[in-house]
Amino acid sequence: MTANSSRASGSPDELRRLVNALADHRDKAAFARLFNHFAPRLITFFSRSGVARETAEEITQETMIAVWNKASLYDPAQAGVATWVFTIARNLRVDRVRREGRRSRTEFDEIEESTFAPSSEDYFLANERDARVRLAVDALPDDQAAVVRMSFFGQKPHTDIARELAIPLGTVKSRLRLAMAKIRDAWERDA
Amino acid sequence: MTINHHPSLETLGSLAAGTLAAGPRLVVATHLAGCPGCRKLVGGFEAVGGAFLEALPASPLPPELLERAMASLAEPAVAPRAQPSSPAQRGLPDAPVPLRGYPIGLWIPLQPGLRISRVKIPEDRNANVILLKVAAGRQLPLHGHDGTEYTQVLSGAFSDAMGHYEAGDCIEADDDIDHLPIVDKDGECICLAAVDGRLRLHSFMARVVQPFLRL
Repeated sequence: MTANSSRASGSPDELRRLVNALADHRDKAAFARLFNHFAPRLITFFSRSGVARETAEEITQETMIAVWNKASLYDPAQAGVATWVFTIARNLRVDRVRREGRRSRTEFDEIEESTFAPSSEDYFLANERDARVRLAVDALPDDQAAVVRMSFFGQKPHTDIARELAIPLGTVKSRLRLAMAKIRDAWERDA
Repeated sequence: MTINHHPSLETLGSLAAGTLAAGPRLVVATHLAGCPGCRKLVGGFEAVGGAFLEALPASPLPPELLERAMASLAEPAVAPRAQPSSPAQRGLPDAPVPLRGYPIGLWIPLQPGLRISRVKIPEDRNANVILLKVAAGRQLPLHGHDGTEYTQVLSGAFSDAMGHYEAGDCIEADDDIDHLPIVDKDGECICLAAVDGRLRLHSFMARVVQPFLRL
């Protein structure tokens, strides 16, 4: 489960090459491979965040088409491909939940496009950070892992998590705070 | 600009997860626009989502899904840039990027030296987001709230018993504030604030005006 098998199918390096192929050559075969890698996981992700199967497939499509359209904005020094795809999926899901409003772009998009300065760091650092974050998440104690999982997987606000686990809201927040501090330490330590 | 006060780790984690409510999200996004340290943290927390996504079991993929996606691929349009301030943002000359495009209501004078305006969040009508303009040396309005309150200082500065807050700082308060925030003597202070829950203004005038602000 580590991120360092660089030649394997679906490895961070291969995913990065595929996204570059979209950006540089509008390579539809590369798109198909990215689709086959991410779409089945995205359907699971959206289904677990409480949307109907049909809607999950629809937002998965939207997410993958956004990957195609935004491929040139992907900055490998900022994040691994899986993390980037997660942010696109998250934003589309947030938009979907609030679809009754007319505004479709989220403030995330605007920050992404206009405020984050492109970094000159080697893409290796982003992959390394993502791999460390994964190890830190795996190492969380069960009670903290549950809260983080419900937040990122289930896309549940703190109040819903408190209700489901039958624990006080303050406990949800303190567990999340402890977990986030450990995850932060994973990349700040000797970085 | 030195930023000394930041949103909590759990709030930045919720932003990364996509579970922060629209109002607080706008305030925290405004903070992020000026705070590279918090942007780095959120970027790292987003990797939690990436790790989860990679580890998720694959759902069966209906074969026509890929075909349909391939059929709708187009040459990408040039990515739209951030919108300039809309004319609706009267009285706020340098709106930070995340705030642009959100219409701002009329500035309502609440008490001498205090004007307040509601920021409309079309995607969440229940969001309580306000802008406060407080004159130099004046006190910020006393208020209570049910949930967490997020305040981003846009310009100017104020102090309370806990500290001194300047442009760029974000104050996250879980409990009712019982100390007295007072704006610095050398200029007015503009803040963006959101409450995760209901806001209760304490002064008589505030209660009169509250229904018009729909808070």
